Amino acid sequence: MIAVNQKKSSMWLAQSLRLLHHELRRGELTIIFLAIVLAVATVFSLTGFSGQIKHAIVANSTNTIGADRVLRLSTEVDKSFIDKSQAMSLNHARKIETESMAFAGDNMLLSEIDAVSETYPLRGELRIKTALTQENSVVVNAPKVGTVWVEPSVLSRLDVNIGDIIEIGVAPLTIAGIVTDIPDRSYRAFIAGPTVILNIADMPKTELIQPGSRMTYKYLFAGETDDVEAFEDWVKPQINEAQRWYDAKAAQNRLSRILDTAEKFLSLASMLGIVLAAVAVAVASRRYGQRHQSTVSIFKAMGASISHVRKLYCLHWTLLSCLSIATGLVVGYGLMLLGVNAIASYLSLADAPLTFTPFLTAIFTGLLCAVAFAIHPISVLVNSSPLSVIRGFSQQKVARFGWHQVPPLLALFILLFLFSQDAVMSAALLFGGIVVSFILLLFGRGLMSAGRSVGTKAGKSWHLALANLKRRASENSVQLVSFTIAIKLLLLITVMKSSILSEWEQQFPEDTPNHYLINISEHEIQPLQQFVDENNVANQGFYKVYRGRLAAINGEKTIREEDNSEQEQEQKAESASTEKKSEKSTEEKAEQSAGRRGAGRELGLTWRDELSPGNEVIEGQWWQLDDSKPQVSIESSMAERLEIALGDSLTFTLGSDEFTVPVTSIRKVNWQSRQLNFIMVFNRSVLEQYPTTAISAWSVSDQDRDMVYRFMANYPTVTLMDFAAIMAQLNNIIEQVSVAIQLILILVVLAGSLVLIAQVQASMEERERELAILRTLGARGKLLRNSVLYEFVALGAIAGLMASIGMEIAVYILQSQVFEMAGSFHFQYWLVGIGAGALFVGLIGMLSCWRLLNLSSVTLIRRTM
Amino acid sequence: MHVNSESILSVSSLTKSVQVEDKTLTLLQPLNLTVAAGESIAIVGSSGSGKTTLLSILAGLDLPSSGEVYLKNQPLHQFNEEQRSQVRAQHVGFIFQQFLLINSLTALENVMLPAELANLPDAQARGEALLEQVGLADRLDHYPSQLSGGEQQRVAIARAFISKPDILFADEPTGNLDSKTGQHITDLIFDLNAKEGTTLVLVTHDPKLAARCQRQVEMDSGILNEKASAVVAESVDVESTSANDVTPETSTSQVG
Repeated sequence: MIAVNQKKSSMWLAQSLRLLHHELRRGELTIIFLAIVLAVATVFSLTGFSGQIKHAIVANSTNTIGADRVLRLSTEVDKSFIDKSQAMSLNHARKIETESMAFAGDNMLLSEIDAVSETYPLRGELRIKTALTQENSVVVNAPKVGTVWVEPSVLSRLDVNIGDIIEIGVAPLTIAGIVTDIPDRSYRAFIAGPTVILNIADMPKTELIQPGSRMTYKYLFAGETDDVEAFEDWVKPQINEAQRWYDAKAAQNRLSRILDTAEKFLSLASMLGIVLAAVAVAVASRRYGQRHQSTVSIFKAMGASISHVRKLYCLHWTLLSCLSIATGLVVGYGLMLLGVNAIASYLSLADAPLTFTPFLTAIFTGLLCAVAFAIHPISVLVNSSPLSVIRGFSQQKVARFGWHQVPPLLALFILLFLFSQDAVMSAALLFGGIVVSFILLLFGRGLMSAGRSVGTKAGKSWHLALANLKRRASENSVQLVSFTIAIKLLLLITVMKSSILSEWEQQFPEDTPNHYLINISEHEIQPLQQFVDENNVANQGFYKVYRGRLAAINGEKTIREEDNSEQEQEQKAESASTEKKSEKSTEEKAEQSAGRRGAGRELGLTWRDELSPGNEVIEGQWWQLDDSKPQVSIESSMAERLEIALGDSLTFTLGSDEFTVPVTSIRKVNWQSRQLNFIMVFNRSVLEQYPTTAISAWSVSDQDRDMVYRFMANYPTVTLMDFAAIMAQLNNIIEQVSVAIQLILILVVLAGSLVLIAQVQASMEERERELAILRTLGARGKLLRNSVLYEFVALGAIAGLMASIGMEIAVYILQSQVFEMAGSFHFQYWLVGIGAGALFVGLIGMLSCWRLLNLSSVTLIRRTM
Repeated sequence: MHVNSESILSVSSLTKSVQVEDKTLTLLQPLNLTVAAGESIAIVGSSGSGKTTLLSILAGLDLPSSGEVYLKNQPLHQFNEEQRSQVRAQHVGFIFQQFLLINSLTALENVMLPAELANLPDAQARGEALLEQVGLADRLDHYPSQLSGGEQQRVAIARAFISKPDILFADEPTGNLDSKTGQHITDLIFDLNAKEGTTLVLVTHDPKLAARCQRQVEMDSGILNEKASAVVAESVDVESTSANDVTPETSTSQVG
């Protein structure tokens, strides 16, 4: 009995293996195999790659802040802090960060200036090389007085070598080495330029620090855990909302949140490709079910029990899934290595270990695709009646809506949830996706019908093609949606890269500022003003800037917000959900006392006698020149956010001073004008007595450029920022984003092609029959070939048309919401979209019908009649 | 119900009707039929007369609306799908008009299938021997799509005989073939049938094919009539010969 059972089990095992082997060889399973491979490889490479990056940046560098705790502020800290830390036996180091110019001969370069004390860093390693040819870097603290260490790009951009002298501010300093590792390097999108590290003792010599200069002071502390925590308890109550106290974890959390956001965005975008791959599995498995109906019926007629058939196909499908998933993992691993290689010059991922997460996620995705989208056709298949061998085989009837759609929808939701970890967002995306698909579907069908009525007047091939297109409208809709999305992405990248930014730049009037000057001392204002007046450099005058804090509104103290200003600036994309989940770091545990919402950061304050151009008073009145009563004008959106009304009194702290002034006007400001704008503008009497530096914005024409730069070399402590350089950085970011979008695009195109091929294969028998009939009726080969070609060309063109419309809508939203400029049409890209769609879909369609079109009439008729 | 010990197939008061929208359509009027072991019987009739419906019930592919069907003394009418599958695996062979080979399996694998389902030993050796008998020794590894219609039907015949069925149902076996190939296929079926001593139930509208059977019944609008035939009397004399008598040496001439 046992022997018989064993024999029985080995029998269906053998049959199942045989089935898989033959089906794979005959190419019946190719689409399903490729679709699962695509989904698994995508998920694996993406999850694996981002995991490695995260590990390399965050986990691997156990100390990203160079200390146990850092206190960051915009002024020097009170000496009592340092004394206290020493009394509590903590080590400390100091660091001043700012942006300024580095000069070498006629060359100048905007740089990130880090002035560090002898003990820096307290944790982690600062590494340099003292010669370009040196193989291994050495661990160091601060550079010797009179010397600097620079990042490699400084050498090439200033055309200098190790040993040469560069000027920082007015101080000549010798380049003593090249920095390879900075323990507390910041990862920000906008960094002024390469880093120059100097000894903090050289800082006064540079004369960069002026009253009102924008400096970041960091105080680094390290010691025994208990001591550090005791010190923390002493420090925290004393810091205000513009100061930041953080540990490595807080810094890492911020960084990993940025990476998480990027990863989440990429994963969700790639969901589009995975969904399409799953659709390809669904279409192909339905056809598979239909084709195998006769096999199952014959098996059953021959006496196979339903459990036998079920086991046979379950094993068959399991084997197929395992094979596809395994292949997908291998391909995904290869892709991940490619990615790791591609960024090797920025970031070494050599020793980042591969975790289980990408494996599990990818395998799970593969299983979901293989099972959820195929379970219905396969179960219908297994239940095929043996009577069909006599009665003939009917097409599997799939109801449009029904219970069988639950597993795929559930699977989609699970996949979305897996990537977003957010149920509400997943449900919204699923629902949104269905709605968008439905709209595209309706629209596409409308276009196909319209094509049909036009087609009746066109040539014969077109007529046949459009008639076919319309008849297969519901099958075509899926392809239409996927190609529409793919082409739309393509167009959007192209338009973004080539049009939007240049259009945005072009819309500014001639004399829009293109250079910004920062850190201008009081005594420098007069000669600079004279220079611009003499040389007719368009400018907006000079604004004195004071760094102050809004401390109270109507006497009510403002509270420290959980989101600190910097996070706001640096992580705009961050969603609120991760915020709640992420472990509360030291910094975030800040006490939540009652009080009013504040600006959340230090504000740049200025005073003005007259209203600046581009500003418009919408409430209250601008002050008279002779009105010496202290007052402030506030920008309208900030007033709205902080619920400040005309007549409210605002209390500001400026250094150690505090003053209270009434709001006498509310201004609307055009932030898009690239002019200098301020949220809080005071009248002269409030601020004039405080010493500070000024800023200015100039419009420098191309021919004046050299002259201006030569002149500015006389003022080395003034930072000159070229707007073109900022735009170049923005372009660089867009470039990087579009690389990511291109990856998604490739994925969507591949998956969409799989869906198309699966659909063509599903319609193959029907197409054969039609061609046979047409042949019999005497249709010529050319007519048939053209009718097939035109059918796909029309499908691609319709997708291109819909994509172009979609692109215009997206671009309009970008233009009006993000760039706040007038919308414009981009008809030249419509042609690109329609052409690309027609060409690509036509090509894929023809390739998948190639065999059919090359069959001789005799074969065709024999096969189908 | 009285069951003739010599009969392999016995049907009494069998009817079949289907519900089409709100009307009941009667396909088979109450009918009785007994087929003796080793007998060859042709069910003839025009299209739509109900002969295929009858065949599917006799073979256990379908259930009657009422009445009883005994195949090898097993009450098919009381059996569910699974039980009927088992009966088919053990006792029944099929030859179809459409050949119905499994496209993804080779000729040999197609032939082996019923033997494997019935757990018979030496499926491969038997399959090879049978394919040799039907003249396809050099086509073992060909797929159905690589074979002509006649060749496909020969594979189907080899498949029908591999599990040494007690009863063979053939549904218009030559319906899809030209007359010459059809003739060869007919010869092959009757030769093998004689050698294996299998009971043959053949559905056809071809009078020449029907005439080769020992007995003919005619279906007409769901009513079964026994047709007078010269060979009817002989039917009972044909004793089932042992299947072991068949050896590869007795293979038939090439056809198709």
